[in-house]
Amino acid sequence: MVSTTEFKGEYSLPSKNSPLNQFEGVKTHLYRLGAEHENGTLKSFAYADQGSPSLLDTIILSQWEDFAWKGHLGYDVTACNLKVIEGGWSFVVQLNNKWNSCVLKDYDKFLGPVGCLKPNCMNSYDELLLCIAQGDKDIPEVVPSTKPPKDGLLLIANACPVEYGHILLVPSVTNQLSFFWDKRMFSLVARIASEVNSAAFRVFFDNCTSTMPHRTFFQACYFANPLPVESASTVAIYDGKATSGVCLYEIVDYPMKSLAFTGNDVNTLANFVGEVSLTLHDNNTAYSLLVSNNGTKVKNLATGSCLSAWECCGYFVYRAKYDFDRASEIEISNRIASVTLQDSAFENLKSLCCAIADDLVM
Amino acid sequence: MEEETAASDEESRRRVASSLTSRYSDWVVESLDELQGSFLLTDPSIPGHPIVYASRGLAALTGYPPAEVLGRNARLFQGAGTDRAAVAGVRDAVRCQRPHQTPILNYRRDGAAHWVLLHLAPVFHAADGAVLHFLAVQVPIPPPPPPARCRVARPTVVVFAPCREEARVEEELSCPCASHAGEVFVDVDKRGLDAEEPRVASEHEKEKALSTANSIFSALNRYSKLTGLVVCGKRCDSVGIPALSSSLNLSLGRIKQSFVLTDPHLPDMPIIYASDAFLSLTGYSREEILGCNCKFLNGPGTSAEVLEEINQHICSEQACTVHLLNYRKDRSSFRDLLHISPIRNASGKVAFHVWVHLDEGAKHDFNGLTPEVWQLGAVGAVRVAVRSLSASGSLLRPSQ
Repeated sequence: MVSTTEFKGEYSLPSKNSPLNQFEGVKTHLYRLGAEHENGTLKSFAYADQGSPSLLDTIILSQWEDFAWKGHLGYDVTACNLKVIEGGWSFVVQLNNKWNSCVLKDYDKFLGPVGCLKPNCMNSYDELLLCIAQGDKDIPEVVPSTKPPKDGLLLIANACPVEYGHILLVPSVTNQLSFFWDKRMFSLVARIASEVNSAAFRVFFDNCTSTMPHRTFFQACYFANPLPVESASTVAIYDGKATSGVCLYEIVDYPMKSLAFTGNDVNTLANFVGEVSLTLHDNNTAYSLLVSNNGTKVKNLATGSCLSAWECCGYFVYRAKYDFDRASEIEISNRIASVTLQDSAFENLKSLCCAIADDLVM
Repeated sequence: MEEETAASDEESRRRVASSLTSRYSDWVVESLDELQGSFLLTDPSIPGHPIVYASRGLAALTGYPPAEVLGRNARLFQGAGTDRAAVAGVRDAVRCQRPHQTPILNYRRDGAAHWVLLHLAPVFHAADGAVLHFLAVQVPIPPPPPPARCRVARPTVVVFAPCREEARVEEELSCPCASHAGEVFVDVDKRGLDAEEPRVASEHEKEKALSTANSIFSALNRYSKLTGLVVCGKRCDSVGIPALSSSLNLSLGRIKQSFVLTDPHLPDMPIIYASDAFLSLTGYSREEILGCNCKFLNGPGTSAEVLEEINQHICSEQACTVHLLNYRKDRSSFRDLLHISPIRNASGKVAFHVWVHLDEGAKHDFNGLTPEVWQLGAVGAVRVAVRSLSASGSLLRPSQ
């Protein structure tokens, strides 16, 4: 149905103004992921026992907490009241009078139209917590205070977080052609989620064509509790465990029509979701993604407009106490339902996803 | 009638004899015999609340051989001059099952009066919070040096009145003359004729009493391994130290750094969680420190200024990183890189303080981060765990 081969390699197209030199003087810690193994499983180091926080998790939390402690945050998000709305969906709402959803504009310096970090002011960018890139060694390694490589993802603290540990994951160099989506970026994000290995760590992606038309970036946050959409029931609509390696589910009892994808391994899933996302982007379809369960689960939240990904997932921030106190399940579910796809469009999405999964078999 | 009494006497004797050995092990008595200090254990579950163990040091101090005190109530040490308010304070502590320290005028076997610092501590079953025994340590208080006596209107009675919180303020106890609590409790007629100036225990005696008590707890726990019993000086159930919800316990248990959580809403900010790494860093067992204030780590050379700095940050709900000299259980010291931060729960309120300890002398791999930043990783992980919204909206287990 959709061919994506034409995009292959485009990400690494050398541009005339090679942005490499734009990192002059910029130093950050670099976390190099371990090399992939043939079967797609990742060798993770970190701590000896698997239950403990991974090294990457600890570094992200350390850097974020350090950033917070130095007073760079707009507010202490952990001082904001959270509550669960009574009812079947258990929506979570936060009272935060300092929250400003337009705050991402502050990150123009990272996400500006040129898409590159500005070398002049970079030295004072405390927001830059870490760079993560693919490594070629067997196990991951940490390179302290180094120049970010051009194929990495920059982890940038969001000074106006929706919850603890809110970061932006921004490709360190974005192709200057209007190339939008790169499957390898998604693969990198999925591997980061897998390497962080924390149930609380969730990655979001908003393909919201109106706000950030030129930028690809992800966001991630630590939510101690599952988001409401994660607790919703699912019905299997495609089982490719033995063939394509991915399974598709429809989320049935949730106000937003959504699909859930699981994969036999992180790479297969990342590859599949990359294809789906690229296709949707080409069709100018707005959608959001939630990557959870250490990168093994992805939810596609098909939305006609720009609710943020966490809002699609059932997590809302209220600025006024009045609204916070009166937040009800009916009001929230109506907000979500108002932006969901029409039945016919959702059916199309389902068949599109199944077709892409089928394509993977070949 | 006679027979019945004899039978119940026999029963009591048997229970006194087996009070310790049935709960710990046969060797616990030998182990206690080896400990320095004058102390006894009583069993509140036996009628009359009798003494079930008396140390050799107690025999030396009081003149009573153990055989003469076993099975009797500990009031046998009191006499005509013993202050009734002090006795009432002890009774109150026993009734409320809480630790208590008071100077008290006791009498030796030969009838001579002597001042001791009585340190009373309930011995709790760690698992269910039941009181198994009471531990009473007696530390003799020497007479004060002759000069520098304050002249105040008689009677200058210093009374430790645990039922009156205002009388327990430390400053007031440092000088007998400063106490106004005595006025409330003075009972001139009933006070003993030979009651000399009441004595005040110095820090030295208080510490000695506490360290004796701690060594007894250690001995009890050492000899209860076989029976699976764990005892502690603080009640670990919902009445005293709240138990964390099991899901929070689980999340915290995964964090590998050395840290404790304290509860700022309880008196004296007790420790309510300690990580395994903290236990191996300091050598204490979890039972020994849960419910305690973090100051047990301090010792000679611990900077008072830094402790004050910590206090100020805690009061203003701010985080701080300090360098501090702290002590392990074996009294070896270590340079402690200590980060303290308030931790907020899902409602945004400060629920705990996290204290992350890092032994600066030990070799660590901080993966390119500074030690100061590295230890913040534990803070972040604790924050995420504590932000969790449990179904009940509470982090604490509902009280039984």
